[in-house]
Amino acid sequence: MLLRGSGQHAGETYNDRFAIDAEAESGVPHARLLLDYAEAAVAGSADLSAKRDAVRDELGAEALVDAAATIAIFQAVVKIADATGIPLEDAKAEISAEFRADLGLDAFAAK
Amino acid sequence: MAEIREDLESAHARAWLRLASPGAWLTAEEKCAVAAEARAALSCAACAKRKAALSPEQLVPPHYSVSHLDDAWIDLIHRIRTDADRLTPTWFARVVPAVLTVERYVETVGVIAEVTAVDSFHAAMGMPLWPLPAPLPGAPNGVRPSAAKLAGAWVPTVAPEDVSASDPDPVQAMYRNRSAANIHRALSLVPEAVNGFFDLDDAMYLPDALLRKFEEEPRAITHAQIELLAARVSALNRCLY
Repeated sequence: MLLRGSGQHAGETYNDRFAIDAEAESGVPHARLLLDYAEAAVAGSADLSAKRDAVRDELGAEALVDAAATIAIFQAVVKIADATGIPLEDAKAEISAEFRADLGLDAFAAK
Repeated sequence: MAEIREDLESAHARAWLRLASPGAWLTAEEKCAVAAEARAALSCAACAKRKAALSPEQLVPPHYSVSHLDDAWIDLIHRIRTDADRLTPTWFARVVPAVLTVERYVETVGVIAEVTAVDSFHAAMGMPLWPLPAPLPGAPNGVRPSAAKLAGAWVPTVAPEDVSASDPDPVQAMYRNRSAANIHRALSLVPEAVNGFFDLDDAMYLPDALLRKFEEEPRAITHAQIELLAARVSALNRCLY
């Protein structure tokens, strides 16, 4: 939802299907580079070093640090959410209902 | 090697100091042991097998363990670190009361989250993980917010409107400059866990006040790029929230 807000501010429409479809085009600048890095970091895959170098080479060392920090904190945020069973806020649930259904995100809910 | 922002380094250093210090319900030794187990879980063959199994209930430890915590607590820590998306309310009701008080559980989750954040950053950067700190002496302070109650989450939480001026400072600080979003409430049974984790979050993600200030770009990547990463990492972890 914050991505949509950011897009509205920039006068762009970002496609949030990238969240579940690695091949989808989001419209966010350098998205493929950043998503490749995130996927390698989350998986701890052998190509992490190459993906990291690609972000540094294209976006710079400071951008690499901020990308790594964002990836890392969300690796932790999800554990808090999953281990405490917090629900989506009513307002967010209502606003995101169509988006969640479209992307199949409701399948992630704890049963 | 990239230079790390000073505020980010400082936030990580504060996280390590918190880890080394007695908490609300866990001793410093216990917190450091929880952190060590959270880290060990990534090298644990039993966790890898469980993660690959059709059901997380199919496989039972022994885990690769590096502490003297009891086996059930170790299993709980490893599960949260490596297979959190398959936790269920049924698991919580069946397992947690037999292992820990809910206060100690929430503090355990907070420790796992902080060590996950700091370790994941260093791993993503290709830097060595920081050695875990040595525990400092002292006893847990036992601060439990009087207004904590069950309100939709599996654990009791504190609503911002229920915090009063007579509450101790850690309780009052939980929602200072933060929204009432449920992620802020999740650990609120242990206020120091909220304050600690979101001190990290402010430096690693964005302070709450800047989340919707799209006209300001305080990082070297844009709001859109930050949210792109946040959404993808959450989806890769199969986290609905």
